[in-house]
Amino acid sequence: MSVPAVLLDGVSASYEGHPALEDVGFQVPQGRFAALIGPNGAGKSTCLRLLLGLVRPTAGRVEVFGHPPLTGDSDGVGYVPQKVTIPRGLPIAAQDIVLMGRTAARGPGRLPSRRDRELARTSLDQVGLADLAARRFQDLSGGQQQRVLIARALCAQPRLLLMDEPTAGLDSAARARFYALVCDLQHARGLTLLCATHDLDVVGEHADSIILLDRTVRAQGTPAEVMSGGRLEQAYHFPAHHVHQDHAAHGTDPTATSGTS
Amino acid sequence: MTEFLSYAFVQRALVTGLLLGVMCAVLSFFVVLRRMAFVGVGLSHAALGGVALGLLLGAPPLVAAALFTVGVAWVVGWLRGRTEVSEDTAIGVFFPTAMALGVVLISLSPAYRQDLVAYLFGNILSVSPDEVLPLAVLCVVGLALVGFYFKELLFLGVDEEAARAAGLPAVRLRFLLLTLLAVTIVAAVRLVGIILVSAFLVIPAATGQALARSLRGMLVVAVISALVSVVAGLWLSWTWNLPSGAAIVLVSAVLFFGALARARRVA
Repeated sequence: MSVPAVLLDGVSASYEGHPALEDVGFQVPQGRFAALIGPNGAGKSTCLRLLLGLVRPTAGRVEVFGHPPLTGDSDGVGYVPQKVTIPRGLPIAAQDIVLMGRTAARGPGRLPSRRDRELARTSLDQVGLADLAARRFQDLSGGQQQRVLIARALCAQPRLLLMDEPTAGLDSAARARFYALVCDLQHARGLTLLCATHDLDVVGEHADSIILLDRTVRAQGTPAEVMSGGRLEQAYHFPAHHVHQDHAAHGTDPTATSGTS
Repeated sequence: MTEFLSYAFVQRALVTGLLLGVMCAVLSFFVVLRRMAFVGVGLSHAALGGVALGLLLGAPPLVAAALFTVGVAWVVGWLRGRTEVSEDTAIGVFFPTAMALGVVLISLSPAYRQDLVAYLFGNILSVSPDEVLPLAVLCVVGLALVGFYFKELLFLGVDEEAARAAGLPAVRLRFLLLTLLAVTIVAAVRLVGIILVSAFLVIPAATGQALARSLRGMLVVAVISALVSVVAGLWLSWTWNLPSGAAIVLVSAVLFFGALARARRVA
């Protein structure tokens, strides 16, 4: 049996002494799509930062493909942030952003090779933006910018893609298109996906498994298992029909009043 | 113009001015990208404390300023990495503190006040033959380092978290950039002075940003505008007996507004 792509075992983490995660444990098998859900401040981003090696656990074990983050197959991990804020008017083209995905593999002192540029073109093509490669990043729509960030992550040829609320600020249609795209990529490339999100309805359709987090794991399993039995209401402190309907109707975060992430 | 170029001190001023201009223009690219304009202002004013310390202790003022400013830059970088204090806030604390230290130290040694004017406003025409080589080496080494880590610094400037997640040594690169900024600011004090050097670390890239349609174009325009500013500024300074540093910065500003006007017309 292959090692899981992602493993957290008894993990705790804190910021400036304030606990962010307590005794968190879950794993994501290779090639699967797992969604991390939970209210703001639940520790979803902290889980991703632990896996990226940006935060160290105060207790427990964090592994990516069987190794501590950034020590083993760190090239195999791609990261899609919520957004990138570029200074207004800066002439950075979409292809420049995507090519940054090759920076670590290329190493300092070396210009991007023909292969790097080819990988960047292929990645942009895969997210359907080949025609907009030379367009300034900030002239693209929110959904297109998000696809550029996916292309940048893909350009590093990862086996695991970590996404931190990648559809924040997108409308419902753009969210649906986004998840359809990442699912296609998952199947085409055999990627493992771990996505921190508030898109409860959409990930319920696409994800293989869901981890419901509220500083610790409240539930994990298939979408049907996690989204039943009042678990969502308990974690979100919100009636179930509001959690689903408000989000689906308005594309808004139903937990926006419960704190910050 | 021929007569202007025939003087050895003018030739020295041009060589060092052009090298420092290229260095400032390249760094200005990252200053604009990372929104570090305030860092440039703060570090340049911190240099005053170093100059004053050097004058008081009898040490070479620019060497003292370089050590002092690099020290301030590192403390700023450390505060940002280890505490909740932002780079801007840290600079906001160190800028007046270092400047106040400079003013106090200068008040203790009134005999040196005349020298201070050259540090505050720059006088590239007074660069001595002994200073040309160290300044040239500094610029070449600085440019080589920026060139070597250009991709990494660019990634870090656009998206620091993703760059760190990709395994780039973000802390080392941040300290490298701060160190290069500090050293370049002190070196460029000879060119345009402590008061104006921060402008030369923003305006060239801003000019490039207004005109260019690509990152490479922005960098090329920034370098060309800095070179034109140095040559035209020195010539204006020579022709009308103007302070060289102020003339260089004014030419740079005219190029920026010209670029802005052209950009608006094209848009």
